[in-house]
Amino acid sequence: MTTAELNEEALRESLKRCPKPAIEAAVQFSRSHDPELVPTIVMGIIERFVEPDVRPVLREGNDHVRLLEDLGIDSLLMVEIVILVEETLGIHIENEELRNLRSVGDIKAYLDAKLKGLPLPATKNVLSFEEVAASMPHQAPFLFLQEARINGTEADGTYYISGDEPFLEGHFKDNPVFPASLMLEALGQLAVLFILKSNNPALGGKVNPNSIFFVSCDGVRCHKMCRPNDVMHLNIRLKKVHSPMVQFEGTILNRGTKVVRAEEISLVYELEKAESVQVS
Amino acid sequence: MRDVVVTGIGLVTCLGHQVADVADRLLHLRHGFVAYEPFINNPKIPVSVAAPLPGFDTSSPEPEDWKFPSTIRFKLEQLKCLSPNALYANFALRDAVADAGLQLDQVSDQRTGLYTASSGSAMMTYHNMDRMKKVGALRCSPMGIVGSIAGTLNFNLASAYHIQGATCGFVSACASSGHALAMAHDEIALNRQDRMIVVGAEDFCEETIVPFAAMRVLSENPDPDTASRPFDVNRNGFVGTGGSVALVVESEEAARARNARVYARIAGWGQATDGYHVAASHPQGEGLARAMKLALQSANWLVSDVDYVNAHATSTTTGDVAECRALKSVFGNDARPAISSTKALTGHALSLSSIMEVSFCLIAMNRKFMPGSAHISQIDPAAGDLNIIRKSIPQQLRRILSNSSGFGGVNVCIALEST
Repeated sequence: MTTAELNEEALRESLKRCPKPAIEAAVQFSRSHDPELVPTIVMGIIERFVEPDVRPVLREGNDHVRLLEDLGIDSLLMVEIVILVEETLGIHIENEELRNLRSVGDIKAYLDAKLKGLPLPATKNVLSFEEVAASMPHQAPFLFLQEARINGTEADGTYYISGDEPFLEGHFKDNPVFPASLMLEALGQLAVLFILKSNNPALGGKVNPNSIFFVSCDGVRCHKMCRPNDVMHLNIRLKKVHSPMVQFEGTILNRGTKVVRAEEISLVYELEKAESVQVS
Repeated sequence: MRDVVVTGIGLVTCLGHQVADVADRLLHLRHGFVAYEPFINNPKIPVSVAAPLPGFDTSSPEPEDWKFPSTIRFKLEQLKCLSPNALYANFALRDAVADAGLQLDQVSDQRTGLYTASSGSAMMTYHNMDRMKKVGALRCSPMGIVGSIAGTLNFNLASAYHIQGATCGFVSACASSGHALAMAHDEIALNRQDRMIVVGAEDFCEETIVPFAAMRVLSENPDPDTASRPFDVNRNGFVGTGGSVALVVESEEAARARNARVYARIAGWGQATDGYHVAASHPQGEGLARAMKLALQSANWLVSDVDYVNAHATSTTTGDVAECRALKSVFGNDARPAISSTKALTGHALSLSSIMEVSFCLIAMNRKFMPGSAHISQIDPAAGDLNIIRKSIPQQLRRILSNSSGFGGVNVCIALEST
């Protein structure tokens, strides 16, 4: 917490494009350091950097709202937001910490902990492409998941459609469209990753990677096509575990627009067999 | 070698942003100068006349404060990557592509490239550096670099238009956009690309224009009607402007195949360097004379083939004389092409000038007139033997040379012919 704080005039100048309540909250914060003011300030700063058409999404105040996928905040805009937050609150955010802030809820929890001097929320389980590939029973050319992140009871992942996928030659002739059936496959693979890497206690123990299979999928609706060079942003949320069955809901977005929604994806799994106990 | 033609023009200039408006002002010699308040009101700025861009105000270092036509809406993350010249360039490029009748997928194609020319953004560099030194790099905009340095046009335009072919920027001061156009010609002539978009753009701002006052080359004449007067004996320096011009250049074959309207063929070009001084032209215009001869040679023209020369003449005392000498040494007694400097109407747009003046030549050819050299009340004796036309003359132009010279004694001459 080394950043010099601004005087009121400079503070108002640097926040001039933010909503008025955020500016007033910031001025008040500079005197009182009341952490209760922080959400108003930070949401106001974020609002200043997002496109007008997604501002209503932000104003709903839902902690699940994701910065990139739902609000279109890329890494460079995120830096602008961080600079203004640092300046306004007189704090310093490390690059490493920044990497873990992916949703509105992440930011609120992080800043709350930081300002109250509490331990920061645990680092999220982020898996690189290599880690995903090393964890999954699926492999190329049938792995439709690149970077992924497991966060409590949900997981996010991405798949970039390179256009080199062999099936695109035939789906369709001279008109490459990523098949909807494989979009569901991609969501299923993210669910498999969740089952393997989340350590969620409801699963009952360590899961055998070769035991997870698809059972059913309900309430599927496709809204938009994806083509080469599109990035699919995948999200699955755990609905219920009723061992050996586990149910998720899943969504795919592209450039903030809904591509597919599946209300229920069910998989079965088995736990690793406990090592046999040697009886003398 | 393949023939290369120009099929699209996009303009953001002090004379206007539509081909028809600019044509009208060139024909009737109506200049773009004003007594510019921000210069007049600043006692540290010794000049008062400038040629601003109608409809654009980019004087703030914060892009979100800029005023520009509402026909392009930038996302915030795009806007914050722009310098003023990249903003203008977005408009020029869009209009050139539309003028050429191209679809966006023809722009984003492996056989379509993008060459640009600018001197970067002194204004954005200054403000970004100032902030960095005051508050430290970690509190500066991450887009500061891409919106400041000389490649800002390529970065912004190549990403906005998903350019897939050759992309490169050219830096040779006031000849930059001439080099960009000439090299784009070669790229197509050598069959490396089918189509090139060439964009020159220069900030209109204090930080780009006023430093030239330190060199004593800006006109301190406060009268907008006479401050820029190339070839006049009483000229005393140039007047600054900015803006952007984009041209779509294609192989003649590709243009014909899609029935494109063709402005002119780029018949050839030449370049040569004075080898004399860091800033001043060679007193005899030696490099410029050689550039013109090389352009004639590459176009396979005789001196008598040239109808009109658009001179570089910026209205400085020494530069205009050197160009007069170069013109005499090339044309001698064999030919008397009409000569004018359109900088009498626009002032000097620095790295943008070369392609802007080529666009004026294309417009003049298209509208069948030669633009006059405005504001001459008494011709400089050094220009006495040359056919410097003081009024615009209706005429079907067949062959044109357009000259540009820059710091370091670089000279580029582009040869245009009607098709």
